[in-house]
Amino acid sequence: MAALEIKNLTFCYPTREIPALKDVSLSIDSGEFVVICGKSGSGKSTLLRHMKTVLTPHGKRSGNIFLDGRPLESYDLGAQAEIIGFVLQDPDSQIVTDKVWHELAFGLESLGTPPDAMRLRVAEMASFFGIENWFYRDVVELSGGQKQLLNLAAAMTVQPDILILDEPTAQLDPIAGQEFIDILGKINRELGTTVILSEHRLDQVFAICHRAIVMDTGRIVADDTPHKVGALMREGRNDMFFAMPAPVQIYAKVKNTLPCPLTIREGRLWLSRLLEDRQPIDRQPPQQKKDNHQDAREQMTVISMKNVWFRYEKGAPDVIKDLSLDIKEGELFCILGGNGTGKTTALSLMSRINKPYRGKILLYGKQLMKYSASELFDGLLGMLPQNPQALFVKNSVRLDLSEMLNEKIPKKEKEERIAKVAALTEIEDLLDAHPYDLSGGEQQRAALAKLLLQNPKILLLDEPTKGLDSFYKIKLADILKRLAAEGVTVVLVSHDIEFCARHATRCGLLFDGHIIAKSPPAEFFTGNSFYTTAANRMARHIFPEAVTNEDVIKLCNILITREKG
Amino acid sequence: MRDTFSTLHPIIIFTYFIGVIAVSIITMHPILLILSLACSAVYSVYLNRLKTLKFFLFLLPVFLFITLINPLFNHTGNTILLYISGNPITLEALVYGLFSAVALLSVILWFSCYNVVMTTEKFIFLFERIIPSLSLIFSMILRLVPKYNQQIKIIGNAQKGIGRDPSRGSLSARIKNGLAILSILVTWSLENAISTSDSMRARGYGTGKRTSFARFRFDARDALILGAMLLLFATIIAGALGGLYTVNYFPVIKIDLVSPLSFLVYAAHTLLFLLPMLINIQEELKWRRLKSKI
Repeated sequence: MAALEIKNLTFCYPTREIPALKDVSLSIDSGEFVVICGKSGSGKSTLLRHMKTVLTPHGKRSGNIFLDGRPLESYDLGAQAEIIGFVLQDPDSQIVTDKVWHELAFGLESLGTPPDAMRLRVAEMASFFGIENWFYRDVVELSGGQKQLLNLAAAMTVQPDILILDEPTAQLDPIAGQEFIDILGKINRELGTTVILSEHRLDQVFAICHRAIVMDTGRIVADDTPHKVGALMREGRNDMFFAMPAPVQIYAKVKNTLPCPLTIREGRLWLSRLLEDRQPIDRQPPQQKKDNHQDAREQMTVISMKNVWFRYEKGAPDVIKDLSLDIKEGELFCILGGNGTGKTTALSLMSRINKPYRGKILLYGKQLMKYSASELFDGLLGMLPQNPQALFVKNSVRLDLSEMLNEKIPKKEKEERIAKVAALTEIEDLLDAHPYDLSGGEQQRAALAKLLLQNPKILLLDEPTKGLDSFYKIKLADILKRLAAEGVTVVLVSHDIEFCARHATRCGLLFDGHIIAKSPPAEFFTGNSFYTTAANRMARHIFPEAVTNEDVIKLCNILITREKG
Repeated sequence: MRDTFSTLHPIIIFTYFIGVIAVSIITMHPILLILSLACSAVYSVYLNRLKTLKFFLFLLPVFLFITLINPLFNHTGNTILLYISGNPITLEALVYGLFSAVALLSVILWFSCYNVVMTTEKFIFLFERIIPSLSLIFSMILRLVPKYNQQIKIIGNAQKGIGRDPSRGSLSARIKNGLAILSILVTWSLENAISTSDSMRARGYGTGKRTSFARFRFDARDALILGAMLLLFATIIAGALGGLYTVNYFPVIKIDLVSPLSFLVYAAHTLLFLLPMLINIQEELKWRRLKSKI
């Protein structure tokens, strides 16, 4: 029997006219691992929240939801809390108490579990998730990944039959995200818990889930095994295509009759089989990209860091060590690196939030410290923080934008300038919304618009792709490229290898406080074997210099057609 | 140094400190007070090391002040030592002041030990049975304070990154930038609170009577020590009821320092005051023995 069944669910938020969910029918069996994907605003969260009465949003609703054949509403809230575990997106705000042990016990305390049983459950979960070592720690000391793991463990202590997760890895770095997904796989495999997950990063989830559901504007457009959904992507032109794992995207664009690969391993085998009897392609370095690099040398140096050292406190260890870096005009320079390697700190030095204790930073040849505040921030430099919410002051995007402009500017000119940046960042439709009501990707663009009002020549972006779906990433990249074409220099730090490989003019790897390698993406990634794109890992045995999906597709197609001709 | 006494069940720790502090306040018997001061000092040094020694430097003037202030205002007593501006200073008042100071100091030292041993967590553990939501409220506050601090830093840096530095510029600009940070913090915290309440409700908060996670267990060792402690208290109370602590400072000092029964009471006091240290010494010896066996 289906554990959870949804029949003809239609839902509309109170002030909206277009329903968020349209006639959704869905049946999930006990023990299944289901991933729900779809771009932001496609109704994923709304659907997930309907699966638990306390979290269900207010609005007009029709249709039914059944849990084990009984209507969901007929279960009292305590019973629901016991049967259905729910993990939300933000690791931080979900944590209620100050200690790890207390957070683990919270659910059991609320349900009135007797102390002895509670002890056992908490101990059990702590060891299942490997939390014993930080059991007595304060929650503030934990990393984002640990916090989200704690949220998961806390939801699991009540031993739910169904575990629902709403984009749980969106705020995590890729490595922590991977670990989190691995643990979900383990829960599903070893405890038999039904897992329902909404997710943007599908590379890993597709390999372990049983079923993938694709949503688009409130409807379910695909509901099948991941292999079939992957194959389906080939036919329909869907925005979700770019969210698919790299092997699926490459497979879809290459003419073949083989089954669809999902993981890197399957992708490698698929590529080997596909090109088995073809001649190997002449291995030549990508000439064209070298030329770009040459161009960059001749351009003006915009940011120059020379032997910069920095630490937060006198006694603290150095975060930035002997960092030297030159960034040219019009570049899109990506600083990659793991957690805690000093990426954000490096940006904070460029934007004068922090000051180095040794070394020099020059902007356009002039010492950073010698700029006055108005020279620096009125038309030279702008920094987009990791959480764009930290920039919004007013109740609507329009007010927030006009607040950024000097009061002396006439109203008409203000409006014109706002209209111009709104068009550039594609937020014209969002100008009257409250900044906090926007989705992550929209907030990012609204914040970017705010910076652009000052016409900065240098843009510093801290993790701009964090929590964005693939659709918004493409939008963001378009905007950045448009800006670069106007001569704006963009420096961004990111964990997002795929994004940097596709869009950067140069990438640098920050490790142990300084930049180890800096070169155009093609060179940068072909040299690495682990720290590289999925496409490169999948195809390196045949096309060692292919870095992006497009590279692999192009080379595959060349090989295939050449054989024919 | 590890304090084994701290590992006992909170109820024992709490009763112990209430007991010793009560004993030190109620009596004015000089020997008992000196015992209390000496033992509390030993335990406090054991727990806080150098910090207590520094603390003594601060306590010394307090001690002298209390000792000397009493004879200046209290002129009862038969043995006049001298006159200050026509007022008699008596030996009895001076001695009484001295022992008041001893009593106060010992109470202060016991409290300094209490602070180390009886952490807030233990205190909450004891009292959440009486007020069940207390522990949760306290824990939530402790969670929010560092979270807000972090968020203020994040917002402050974000504002600096667009040239709105609250620590620079004209006064009006600074106030404006500071207020902006505050307003962002408020909006953020409201958003955050919605998410927190979702998370609480999703985990069954408010569906029924709460229980609480018992971090501390009452084991056989706890029972043994509680038994011993109660026995000592009983002896002391019996002594008090038997009039062994009756002391008179005025008009002349009259104290029964030595009697066969009083030694029993002294012994009970010493044992009680030294209880934490005795437990520590016993533990230390046990480890030595275990080590030598290896």
